[in-house]
Amino acid sequence: MRRGSSSRLPRKRPSGRKALLATLMLLVAVASAFPLVWMVLSSLKTPAESMQVPPVWIPHTPSLDAYEKVSGVVNVGRSMWNSLVIASITTAGILITSMMAGYAFAKYHFPAKSLLFSLLIATMFLPPIVTLIPLYRLVGSIGLNASLAGIIVPNLANAFGIFLMRQFISGVPDDLIDAARMDGASELLILFKIVAPSVAPAIAALALFAFVYHWNSYLWPLTVLQGNADAYPIVISLSRLLSYNRGAVNTGLVMAGATLAVLPPLILFVLLQRFFVDSIVGSAIKG
Amino acid sequence: MIQRYRASAGIMLTPAVTLIGIFILLPMMLTVWLSFQDWSTQTPFSSASFVGLDNFREIFGASSVGRDFKGALTNTAIYTALSVILILPLSVAFGLMVYQHDVAGGTALRTVLFSTYMVPMIAVALAWSKLYSPSEGPLNQMLGLIGIGPQPFLSSPRSALVSIVLLNVWQQVGYFTVLAIAGLTQIPGSLYEAAKLDGANRFEQFRFITLPLMRRTLLFSAVIAIINAVQVFEPVALITQGGPVGSTNVLTYHIRRVGIERAQGGLGSAMAVMLMLSLIVVVCALFALANRKDQE
Repeated sequence: MRRGSSSRLPRKRPSGRKALLATLMLLVAVASAFPLVWMVLSSLKTPAESMQVPPVWIPHTPSLDAYEKVSGVVNVGRSMWNSLVIASITTAGILITSMMAGYAFAKYHFPAKSLLFSLLIATMFLPPIVTLIPLYRLVGSIGLNASLAGIIVPNLANAFGIFLMRQFISGVPDDLIDAARMDGASELLILFKIVAPSVAPAIAALALFAFVYHWNSYLWPLTVLQGNADAYPIVISLSRLLSYNRGAVNTGLVMAGATLAVLPPLILFVLLQRFFVDSIVGSAIKG
Repeated sequence: MIQRYRASAGIMLTPAVTLIGIFILLPMMLTVWLSFQDWSTQTPFSSASFVGLDNFREIFGASSVGRDFKGALTNTAIYTALSVILILPLSVAFGLMVYQHDVAGGTALRTVLFSTYMVPMIAVALAWSKLYSPSEGPLNQMLGLIGIGPQPFLSSPRSALVSIVLLNVWQQVGYFTVLAIAGLTQIPGSLYEAAKLDGANRFEQFRFITLPLMRRTLLFSAVIAIINAVQVFEPVALITQGGPVGSTNVLTYHIRRVGIERAQGGLGSAMAVMLMLSLIVVVCALFALANRKDQE
């Protein structure tokens, strides 16, 4: 009976539903994009436009003056360079340590393997604040505090990377590896010359994840740098702009700074979002 | 042969295991040990002196230390609960929008939603502290257009914590939407076909197919959302500094203030241990609940 009743209303209902769905999707997209779009638009306004009542949503004469002013408040070049150094070296380290450990967990048999793996994976669920206080002291006692090295060294390996690499390296056929062993290749050579190319998409995903995560990271650099402004990454330098955020006159300046911080990770994301999304899906399903 | 690969395994594992051992596992054990010590963060570990459960008594006591910690614990619990309650249903709703086949633009919506997750918190804090501004902020101007009076958002103790939750939900919901989509792709289409033949409407299909088969995904999302929520730091440190009147003083911010800025390493470690224990209890309870539902 029900089947009959639904076929009696052929087109009208689905198309109404489609219109509703399309409207909802548009609303969600607009709400989601609004803060960032507003931020970029505001960064292009002149101070006079920022102060206008009722507000100007779209600047009449877009200007980049605010971006110039940011470099008067914050050492943008230096901070961007620091961020680049931190994110690049950390990412390189994570890639190497994760590939090596992931290969061991995927392709070797050794005692207490699953116990060690569980122990490492457990650290993935540990909020950083739980270890922050002793870590701060520990890094200080080996003389790395207030330096870029202090930010980088504790982050050169992580459980997520090992987990991701193990998942994907498990899928590489053993025959491929055995053939290379027959030819007398060393294990490290096999890993970097034969295994790595066949899991390249996963490596790209991990690289992007690590880079964006450490570009954006705030709590640890703030803690370990102890106010050494020369080593500040861009996300910490820009916090100076918060003191300009009272009153409308400096809105353009503040939003220009915020836009500068957003650009590198967002550009990477737009270029390579397929890898990001695939690796999240991979880690969720296979986990 | 076997012997040779055992040596290789050692070489392959050494870098990662050493680094994680020194910089995560060792500090974790030190946190537990320090929670029973009187210790200043400015001094070497060797200067710590054992005080039994004094730190725990103090952080749960009636002094200002206890009041602040209990306040931070409560704020974090509220913050976490609100985040999970908002993020999970939204992620499923958005996931369904992206995943359905009726209307094009799903992938574009996913890109827009997920892009906020890539944005550094400093930019989020700078932009949202302006969006939330009571006098000239765009949010109040838009609320005015639909006849709602100006909201105090971050400047009132009644609404500040909720405002920070909303900001974080906005930033993170795209990530959880991608997780939800991953869960949705796992559900065989044949189940929906069969349900349609049995005359199930869309709501019934959602209630009796989608939701039950999404349970594992939702459990995973809930655990990640909880762990993310207790880490909230930047918007509090950057915009509210825990205020007004302690209403946004959350644990990560509070523990750092006590343990690093005030250098009370023992007290801060005791707080960190309590955070870890609360997390373990909540996550275990979630798993137990999910297992019981599975057996039904």
